[in-house]
Amino acid sequence: MEQMVATNNADADWTVLEGPTPTGKFPARGRMGDETIVVFRTKHGYRGTSKSCPHMLATMLMAELAADETMVRCPLHVFTFRLSDGKGVNCPGFRVDVYEVKETDDRLLARPANAPTAR
Amino acid sequence: MSGKSKVTILRGGHVIDPAQGIDQVSDVAIRDDVIVDVASVTDADDATIVDLMGRYVSPGWVDIHVHAYGTLGFADPDSVGVYQGVTTFVEAGGPGIGTLDEFLALMTGLETSLYAGPFIRPMGLLGLNFIEGNVRTLGDVPITKWVDFAKEHRDVLRYLKCNAIGDYGPGTLNLTKGLAQILQLPLYMHIGEFQMQRPDHLLAYEAFRIAEKGDMITHLYHGNLGTVLDKEGRVEQVVRDAEKRGVLFDLGFGGYNFSWDIAEKSYAQDLVPYTISSDLQQFNVVRPVKSLANVMSAMRRLGMSLQQVIERVTINAARSISLQDRAGSLKPGMPADVTIFEVQSGEFEISDCYQKSRTADQQIVPLITYKRGKRFDVDLTRGQAESNWFLQIAEDHVPQAARSLTSRQRAFLGRLADALAETSWTLGSAESLDVEKALELQQIFHSCLGGEVSLREGLLAVYDCFVDHRFTMQIGLFIIRLEQDFALARLREVVQLAPMAA
Repeated sequence: MEQMVATNNADADWTVLEGPTPTGKFPARGRMGDETIVVFRTKHGYRGTSKSCPHMLATMLMAELAADETMVRCPLHVFTFRLSDGKGVNCPGFRVDVYEVKETDDRLLARPANAPTAR
Repeated sequence: MSGKSKVTILRGGHVIDPAQGIDQVSDVAIRDDVIVDVASVTDADDATIVDLMGRYVSPGWVDIHVHAYGTLGFADPDSVGVYQGVTTFVEAGGPGIGTLDEFLALMTGLETSLYAGPFIRPMGLLGLNFIEGNVRTLGDVPITKWVDFAKEHRDVLRYLKCNAIGDYGPGTLNLTKGLAQILQLPLYMHIGEFQMQRPDHLLAYEAFRIAEKGDMITHLYHGNLGTVLDKEGRVEQVVRDAEKRGVLFDLGFGGYNFSWDIAEKSYAQDLVPYTISSDLQQFNVVRPVKSLANVMSAMRRLGMSLQQVIERVTINAARSISLQDRAGSLKPGMPADVTIFEVQSGEFEISDCYQKSRTADQQIVPLITYKRGKRFDVDLTRGQAESNWFLQIAEDHVPQAARSLTSRQRAFLGRLADALAETSWTLGSAESLDVEKALELQQIFHSCLGGEVSLREGLLAVYDCFVDHRFTMQIGLFIIRLEQDFALARLREVVQLAPMAA
C-alpha cells in the first residue's frame, strides 16, 4: 500500500485528526480539515476510509472488519473493500478512499493513501 | 411391489397442504421418489418411520425468485434450496438469451429443481444499479434465437423478466410483453427504482397497466420510488385494476425491496401477495433476507395465517409458474418433495430493507427436506457461509482447482490468453460498465473453445483460475471485472502448471 502514496517529504502531508483518540472506541469518525473520515483500528494498525459506503451512502461507522482485518464490510449489503487500496472486492467498480493513520504523542494523524479521484 | 422399493412414512406430523385442503395431523407415505398417500398409514415391515409429532409437514417449498446464477448468484445454490427447505426455485433474470447456454452448461447436478426466468437483456441481470436503468444496455433482442431456444428448452423457461425502472420507458415493457407473448410465457416485472436513481417518470405504474392475467409483478411491498401506495397511503387504483384482471403479485423480499411500513399499510387494505419469494442473492443472504423461511416468518408477523403462508410457497407458487403438475402439493403420484418444519415461539427480530424491524412471537424453522424422496437435513448456516456469497478473486494465489484442469482445458486457456491479449479492457467505475466490451470478451471466449473443450469445461477452466469457490458468472462479465494484466498473467501461469497425474 505504501508505494501508492507520494512520500517525498515524509511527514509534511500528515494532518492531525480531530475527534478520535487512541484510547477511544473504534471505528471512529475523524475530521481532517473539511474532510470527515472513519478510522478503524485493526491488528495491523490504524487505517481510515471515506465516511460512507459508495453503494447507498451508509455510514462506514457501521462497517465491520473482514478477511483477517484487511478489509471492511458495509453491513447493509456486504459490499466489501480492501483497506490497502480501497478497491471493492465483491462489488466491481465501487471503491472507497483510504487513509494512512498513525499515532503520535497520543494523537492520531492521517493522510490519503490513494488518490481520492483515482479511477 | 418390487423388493427394491423404498418406503418412508412421515408419521404423525401436522400436514398443511392447501392444494388438497388438508390441515390436520396425518401420516405421509413416500415410495421411492413419489408421494403414495396422505392418510393414516399402517407400518410396513421394511418402511423407514420418521416420527414427526409436534412438527409440520407441507409440500416442498417453491421459491419463484432467487439468484442462484450470475453476478448475484451463489457458489453453492443448494444452500438456499434443499438445505433451507426449498425443493424448487427459479433463477430470476440471471441469464439472458446471450447467456442461457452458459446457464444450462453450468447449472447441472443441483439437488434442488432449478428453472429459469431469463431477463430481456441478452446478458441477463448485471447487478449494477447504474446499468440496470439504462435502456441502451438492453442491446439487441434476437427474436429468432429466443424462439429457437424456447422450442428446444421449453421446460426450463418459466417466465420472462424485465425491470420497470430507470429510463427504459413503457416501450421496453411493451417490447418484453410482446416477446413473452411470442414465447407464451408470463411476464415477470420488477418494480421499484434502484437506489439513488430518481427518474422523472416512474415505470412501476406502467407495469401494472401492461400486465395481463397470469403476468407477475414482484417486490409488491418495496419502499423505493414507485410504491403501490399513493401519497395518502391508499393502494393505487392501477394496482387494484391489475389485481382484478388476474395479475399475480409476488413478494420478492430482497435486499432493497421490502418495507414494513408499506407492507403494513398495504396489508391493512387487503393488498396481499399471491406468492411469497425471497429474492435471495449474494448481497442479502446475510441480512436482511437470510432464508425463505425468514421471509415466511415476516409474512406471519404481517398477519397471514400459517396456512396462507404455506399456500403462497406451495400451490400458489407452483401455479404461478405452471408447475402444479410436479410441485406444490402432496397429491398421490406427485414427486416426493416435502418440507418438514416447526414453528418456534419466543421473541424474534425481523428486519426489513430499510433498517426497520419488528418483533415476532413466532418463527418458521425448516428442519428436513425430502427432494424426490431423498432426505436432506436443513442447514441454515450453509447459505450464510462466506465461501457461498463472498466472490473474491484469488489475486495472491492460484486456486487449487486450477491444478486439476485437463491438458485440453489448459490448451484452451492458452488460446484464450493469446486472444485476450489482442484486445484491451478496463473495468472503469460502477457507473460506466462497458457492456459492449463484455460482449466482445464473451465472444472471444467462445471462439477459443474451438470444439476442443465443451462450453462447461471452458467456463469451469476460467473460473478455476481465479476463484477458490465456484461462482458461475456470465463469462463476459467475469472477465471484464479482472484487471487485464493480471488476468493474462494468471491464465499463462495456469497453462504452465504441470498436469496432474491421471
